[in-house]
Amino acid sequence: MKIGRLLIVALALALLAALFGFGLLRGSPDRDIASVLVGKPAPVFDLPLYERYQPEYGASFALADHVGKPMVVNFWASWCLPCYEEAPELQSFWSEYQDKGVLVVGVQTQDKDKRREGRDFIGRFGLTFPNVFDNDSQVSVNWGLYGVPETFFIDAEGNIVGKHVGPVTVEALKTNVEALLR
Amino acid sequence: MTRHRRRALLAVVLAVLLGSAFAQDVEIGSRAFDIARNLRCPVCVSESVADSSAQIAQQMRTVIQERIDEGMTDQQIYAYFQASYGDWIMLQPPKRGVHLFVWLLPVLVALTALAVVAVLARRWLAASRTPINASAEELARVRQLLGEGGPAGGQEARPEPESRDS
Repeated sequence: MKIGRLLIVALALALLAALFGFGLLRGSPDRDIASVLVGKPAPVFDLPLYERYQPEYGASFALADHVGKPMVVNFWASWCLPCYEEAPELQSFWSEYQDKGVLVVGVQTQDKDKRREGRDFIGRFGLTFPNVFDNDSQVSVNWGLYGVPETFFIDAEGNIVGKHVGPVTVEALKTNVEALLR
Repeated sequence: MTRHRRRALLAVVLAVLLGSAFAQDVEIGSRAFDIARNLRCPVCVSESVADSSAQIAQQMRTVIQERIDEGMTDQQIYAYFQASYGDWIMLQPPKRGVHLFVWLLPVLVALTALAVVAVLARRWLAASRTPINASAEELARVRQLLGEGGPAGGQEARPEPESRDS
């Protein structure tokens, strides 16, 4: 009887220890949460473009006007260090995939009134894909952003099919976009 | 620095601090603030939209106020944010589906603990009421051990003082 009770107590303690260990090792749970928007139509936006893109795209960029081709929507901010890490990757991917009918759009967000910093960021990496400015971060809210950088993959029907949290690489971009081109 | 100047400087510092403290929420009403308190700041750790100074939280407060001005109910405003973030955005998990477990678990634990205490208390009370079955020899042995040698029986046993031989 006593041995049975001891076993139950030991099992309960082992279970608690296992839960504690799992909690410690699993990392930040918030970052693992999948977007509820995956599988749903991408929230539309119409935002002002930086000057260098205006000759090609006009004064503003409306997402709805570009439905029909796979899109990569990348959210960044001028204060965000991982964004500096991924910007060359996005440009490299764009150079290779723009002729394949894929559109990359950069959205500067959570960066209120930082237009000059935004221009510096774009100039620093020579970003040739269109970049827009979400001054009041409203698009961040509509797209359910947890932070920057975050990258969304949109299919030709305008639905969000995937999301990448943190700095994105050319490999990750290719993997997600190739699935959309098939 | 003269006393007068020091006072003036202190007044300026206080004005700046108070101004910055109230600057962010000055435009939203108490209802918007109450709603913001129930929403999780997406870019913070364990902070509500009402408490955070993050830009996205500020924008969310503005959106809440705009939705209130448009005549939306609290539930409609929560639903608007849940459409983008899911139930995660709520600081208190909704009382439905799998989230019910979070609400019911403490109640279940408390009820189980009460039941265990009740069962143990009953056992202890029952044990204390059960007469002890002991033979005359066993009782005599107990009395002897307690030092109750006399015929009075009910006398309180007192320990003999220890003698110390030097």
